[in-house]
Amino acid sequence: MARRVFRVATGLVCTLIACAPDTARAFGDVGAFEARPLLVGDQSSARRASALALWATELTNRTSAPARAKPREVRASDDALFDAPFAYWSDNRELSPLSRAEIGNLRRFFALGGMLFVDDAAPGAEGPGAFGQYARRELARVLPDMAPTSLPKDHVLYRTFYIVRRPEGRTGNVKPLEVLSRSGKIKVIFSSHDVAGAVAQSPHGGWENRLEGGEPQRERALRLLVNIAMYVLCSNYKDDQVHAPSLMRKRGLSPTP
Amino acid sequence: MSEHLSVAAPSWLVWVAAVVGFLATLLLVAEVLRQRASRASLVSGFAAVLALELVILRPERVQTNEIRSLPSVTVLIDTSRSMALPGYDGSRFEEATRALAALQTHAKGKADLHVFAFGGQEPVAWSSKLTPSSATSQLDPTLSSLERGERTDAIVVISDGRLDAPAPGVSHEALKARLGPLGIPIHTVNVVDYAPKDAQIRSVSLTSTAVAHVPVPLRVEVGCTGGLACGELELHVRELRDNGPSIEVGRGVAKVTDDAALVEMSVTLDTVGYHVLEVSTSAPDGDSIPENNKRLFPVLVTRERVRVLHVAGRPTHDVRAVREWLKSNASVDTIAFFILRTKTDNAKAEDDDLSLIQFPVNELFTQHLASFDAIIFQDFDAQPYGIGRHLPALARYVHNGGGLIMVGGPNSFVAGGYAGTALATILPVALEDTDQSTAADVDNFVPRWSDEGRAAPLLGPLRSLSGDELPSMPGTNVLGALHPGASALWEHPTRRTKDGKPMPIFAIAEVGNGRSVALGIDGGWLLGFSTFGLRTGGRGTAALWDGMLGWLMRDPRYEPVQVDLADACVANEPVQLELRALPGLAPKERSTVTIDVQRLDDSSKPLHREVPISAGVGTLRIPFEALAAGGYAARARFGNTTTVRRDFACEVGGQEWADPRPDPEHLKAIAAASHGVSVSTRQVDHIPLPDAKILTTMRRDLPVLPPWVWAILAATFAGMHWIVRRRTGLL
Repeated sequence: MARRVFRVATGLVCTLIACAPDTARAFGDVGAFEARPLLVGDQSSARRASALALWATELTNRTSAPARAKPREVRASDDALFDAPFAYWSDNRELSPLSRAEIGNLRRFFALGGMLFVDDAAPGAEGPGAFGQYARRELARVLPDMAPTSLPKDHVLYRTFYIVRRPEGRTGNVKPLEVLSRSGKIKVIFSSHDVAGAVAQSPHGGWENRLEGGEPQRERALRLLVNIAMYVLCSNYKDDQVHAPSLMRKRGLSPTP
Repeated sequence: MSEHLSVAAPSWLVWVAAVVGFLATLLLVAEVLRQRASRASLVSGFAAVLALELVILRPERVQTNEIRSLPSVTVLIDTSRSMALPGYDGSRFEEATRALAALQTHAKGKADLHVFAFGGQEPVAWSSKLTPSSATSQLDPTLSSLERGERTDAIVVISDGRLDAPAPGVSHEALKARLGPLGIPIHTVNVVDYAPKDAQIRSVSLTSTAVAHVPVPLRVEVGCTGGLACGELELHVRELRDNGPSIEVGRGVAKVTDDAALVEMSVTLDTVGYHVLEVSTSAPDGDSIPENNKRLFPVLVTRERVRVLHVAGRPTHDVRAVREWLKSNASVDTIAFFILRTKTDNAKAEDDDLSLIQFPVNELFTQHLASFDAIIFQDFDAQPYGIGRHLPALARYVHNGGGLIMVGGPNSFVAGGYAGTALATILPVALEDTDQSTAADVDNFVPRWSDEGRAAPLLGPLRSLSGDELPSMPGTNVLGALHPGASALWEHPTRRTKDGKPMPIFAIAEVGNGRSVALGIDGGWLLGFSTFGLRTGGRGTAALWDGMLGWLMRDPRYEPVQVDLADACVANEPVQLELRALPGLAPKERSTVTIDVQRLDDSSKPLHREVPISAGVGTLRIPFEALAAGGYAARARFGNTTTVRRDFACEVGGQEWADPRPDPEHLKAIAAASHGVSVSTRQVDHIPLPDAKILTTMRRDLPVLPPWVWAILAATFAGMHWIVRRRTGLL
């Protein structure tokens, strides 16, 4: 019963959010987290849009971080790509190759410090599906000097807010997240877990997908999304916290545990 | 008038003629000795040679008028402050004036005396009204100045020998190399050769650069002269503070043996910039110069690594941009606390599942506050975290030399509950929290550069990237009018403060020993990440923060003006402050320099000067009346630039009284190196005066015979000799 009430309430909130007017950026809103769905080539609309709205809602409910309730779609070839340093890219199929303009814009986006979360909506059992492989191939054209590497279990991304033990999404894939990074700064996160799929809403209310692990698995996927958002907003701040005790000891401070 | 014979030929020709004549005479004599020539040939030949010589030399009578001139002797009298110390009968300076009188008697009718006072860089014409007031004894530059002037035949220096230049202890060879080229003797008169009974702090020096938070060794040399028994003397080092009592930062004991002691101490200063330290000692009974028991000196404290506390009220892109800049800067050591969850947030997790720690408010803002060089409050509401009770301490921290940057956001400034608090008093802008006031203006706008902003070196890096262009900002905190002395670097294009002036967006201020910055926007990250950021290569945010933190930490690159004392400040003597604008920052139109001098331990009204300056003038000196002994802060503003602070100290005795011992050996060395003599004031009449000079005022050259007569005579004698030789068969 409680679960049903939660689903209905969540659906209602998301519907209200979806209907909310897309106001211009306002004071205090400009630095807010926004999971902007990235569109390239012939992609006409964002996948998992409902999940992105829920992501924003849960981020603001659970943390002090501000978030845009209704993320705006952004095309890779538009200057709007430079309105915020984060974008979410997902699909379940191979798309058309990136155009020269898209490659140039994405390259500048990363050069300025932007970050992209690539979430494979249809991953294979052992790893990336058609979209995941496509995204890796195309992003290799954008960042040719970087190769995907597995994100170590002790990476700060897994403890920016929640302590996340392993990445989980709609699938029960145990493969780690992969990243493209330079000098310790993550440019791209590859997920073969359909993380947003775990929290996507159906148009009629309720969850879009049933999960093998049930609600705990959905909660873990949501926590991973919160952590990714916190990484976007705080960078490796929690690495500092690990180092804080030694830094503070060095200068006579003792941290409150 | 006198007359003598001479020749018209040049001297080289005289030599040639003499040699040729001598050889010809030898030849004639040789012929006679070998009996090849007769005596008549010898006589006629000699006459012919002589006649030819006279043709060449052309004898003449020289009539001249001559006068006898007295030699010029320059007398240099030391007017440094050490000459005010005790001599034999009165001060050393009085002894010097008596020596001058004796010298004038000695030189009467034998030499012309030209008397000057020396002390600073240039000699000053002597006057009986002069007093020993110079903070230095610069003999060397005085000699250089004399070299450029009229020729003198000798120099007499009257001094106690405690000279700054040439420095004591310079080798004989070095002195000779310096004084030899003058080509004249330097005689010295030593006005005193005994040291007074006195305990003194002879010198205070830092043995390395003073770095904030790091103990710096301080070396203090203590002396006891004139047979005063000092034994052990306590030393205290105190830091003079703005508007309050000084605080002790060091203590030591000087065990005086052989009239001197060297004490090594260490002091730790927490904030960057100038500090005035006072080193004092207790002296035993019989101490004759109490003024040199205390020394004041300014210390410039720099930093090895800037220690920054970054506190953010919530994570945003602006917070991330500042953090990324801080972490990328190798000279910054950052401690960060971001509020990731508020009391109203529901994380839906057990604490064990959360990677959160408590915000150690009390530890940070009580005992450890002073360990930071700068604090950044970014979009941070002080109230929920109990920081309100620490705000007075935070304000004191800034007054004492710390730096504060408050960055805008919905939780900052008035919205953060800072209005009416102690912190509001140290911000560059007023915070108005009334029923009619609003905390934020949500309309988009493009900040406008103020004249101060365009001239401020701290914004130079950003201007070099983007010129006058700035990105549009999505609203701003509503800030009040500038506090007195603060500068607005960016302004709102339309909003006004209560005083009718444009509302500041980015403002800076000097606060006591520290500095504060108010940045009323939360879109600073758009300087680096935006379409505007594309044009700056993404470096805009870093350029803004480089300048902002650099200015806060008094990095010379971001100071618009250098303020210095023109000379050491001597208490109760007029003082001059010299202002030098950075290259390119001299005012481009007629402008005004304002400067305030405030005694550190006194909150009364500062001495204020406003001096008009012409366009392009980058350096000027501003005189102030006599200041009492103590530490002072000078705050200067050059045209439209931001305010710069420079602390300095004025001492009664200063370095000149720090060591009251005379140095007759130094005077002897100077005299020896220049072939002069060194005497006491009782032996002034032993000084050798140069010989008088003969000056020719008229000269007339009269030929003994016209040149053609000498030619006929030579031809005649040569012809006769030719005839004689024909007759004797030599031709």
